[in-house]
Amino acid sequence: MDLQRELGGNLGEFAGWITSMDYGNPVEEHVHTRTSVTVFDVSHMGRYIIRGDKIYEFFQKVVSKDLRKFKEGHMSGPVLLLNEEGGIKDDIMLYYLKDDEWLAVVNAPNVVSDREWLIQLRDRLGFSNSDVEIDDVTGKTTLIAVQGPKAPEIMDALKAPEDIKKLEILQFLPNAEVLGKEATLISRSGWTGEEVRSYGFEIWTDVNHGREIFKKAVESGAKPAGLIARDSLRLEMGYLLVGEDMGESTNPIEARYWLPLTLGKTDCIGCDKVMKYYEEGVSRFRVGFKFKKGDRSIPRHGSKIFAGGKEVGYVTSGTYSPMLKRSIGMGYVKTTHAYIGFKLQVEVRGRLHEAKISEFPLI
Amino acid sequence: MASDTTVKTKLGEYLVKGDRLYTKTDEWLLIENSTITIGITDYAQKKLKYIVNVELPEAGHKVKKGEPAATLESVKSVADVYAPVDGEIIEANEDLIDAPETINKDPYGNGWLFKVKASENIDESEFLTPEQYAEKIRKEET
Repeated sequence: MDLQRELGGNLGEFAGWITSMDYGNPVEEHVHTRTSVTVFDVSHMGRYIIRGDKIYEFFQKVVSKDLRKFKEGHMSGPVLLLNEEGGIKDDIMLYYLKDDEWLAVVNAPNVVSDREWLIQLRDRLGFSNSDVEIDDVTGKTTLIAVQGPKAPEIMDALKAPEDIKKLEILQFLPNAEVLGKEATLISRSGWTGEEVRSYGFEIWTDVNHGREIFKKAVESGAKPAGLIARDSLRLEMGYLLVGEDMGESTNPIEARYWLPLTLGKTDCIGCDKVMKYYEEGVSRFRVGFKFKKGDRSIPRHGSKIFAGGKEVGYVTSGTYSPMLKRSIGMGYVKTTHAYIGFKLQVEVRGRLHEAKISEFPLI
Repeated sequence: MASDTTVKTKLGEYLVKGDRLYTKTDEWLLIENSTITIGITDYAQKKLKYIVNVELPEAGHKVKKGEPAATLESVKSVADVYAPVDGEIIEANEDLIDAPETINKDPYGNGWLFKVKASENIDESEFLTPEQYAEKIRKEET
């Protein structure tokens, strides 16, 4: 983390990690990610190595998504760890390295609790330690994300294999050489939206190698970017942040978090409840919204949402979108008011601001 | 007139202009007769970082000393700008609404926020001189 400071990072704390909030100008970092290329140190994300003979059988019973089509060299996309009530404990990413070795990336605040939950389930579901062993390697490894339309140029400067340019979204190349040294993997992924819109690569490697890579990426023209830009980028895309936009008392139906769901999947923790919410309906939906052009007042977590004089919801995340030149956000509103195009009012410091419900991504 | 100083601390470098007075809450004041032009200091804009939103008072609005008259917002924080005296807003810098980043770029010039006409005589001794303000920054950053 000293390198981040050396490069001008303004440090802050997130989930117990000291990491860069920004490198001077989070708005410029955001725009640069959309139009050129930035590099993020996302090592605060939790990382596990999973080994054993029954990894597939175990996770098939634990996560919200059907893993039957999940295969070597691919990431699962976000999958949910649900509680028995169908509430969201976390969204995690699985990596299929080989049949008896997977990797997982989990959200930083849950690095300890997810592992405890998985081990609890392993015992409860009758799996042994040799069936599924979960090793937390967060402190020993780093995750560096290179994001933006010019990411391939930076990957060239990092002497990454040519093959990575052929990777599909959520595909990875294991044991990939970067700067003459082997990294655990390079994946076509990210959480900025650029992994879909243009290019995004993530490099999973050891701590010292990660430091070299970050430094070289910056020297080669990638702008270093911090957590604030990462947050505004994901908000433009409508990606949910656990602890802010979803949690144990939110279910995936009201969160409209379809990507990690295989509806009708049975025999997994919480899945029956999810189907019940789907069939019976829910009272609130997560929606995205945009303020009027030029309205830059930022709605914050907890800001109230009104329809005329009636309170109909609340904001869970908000930010200023440099791409739309206005504030945007997401939150939960009563299903009776959750229509795309519907106009509501969001309270920011005592004043009401017109907000239009919009489909994700917001840009 | 005192000259401009650059205060250097462990955490940064901040310009303090010698031609004006300051408040403990990091506003600068240019006083001409009973009218005060108010902005935030270089130190304040560097702490707030990239300002994306500014809410200004309207002309004619009555303000009370020490109460919020304008609000500045960066991506992660919100800060109030206080009225230094009792009085009436006579002008606000409307150019900032579409370009709030001007406050970061030119805090002592085009980034001025509003002008207030004091309702009573201004007691300049209530405010900080450039030397005193520079000292305040040094104290905060040691």
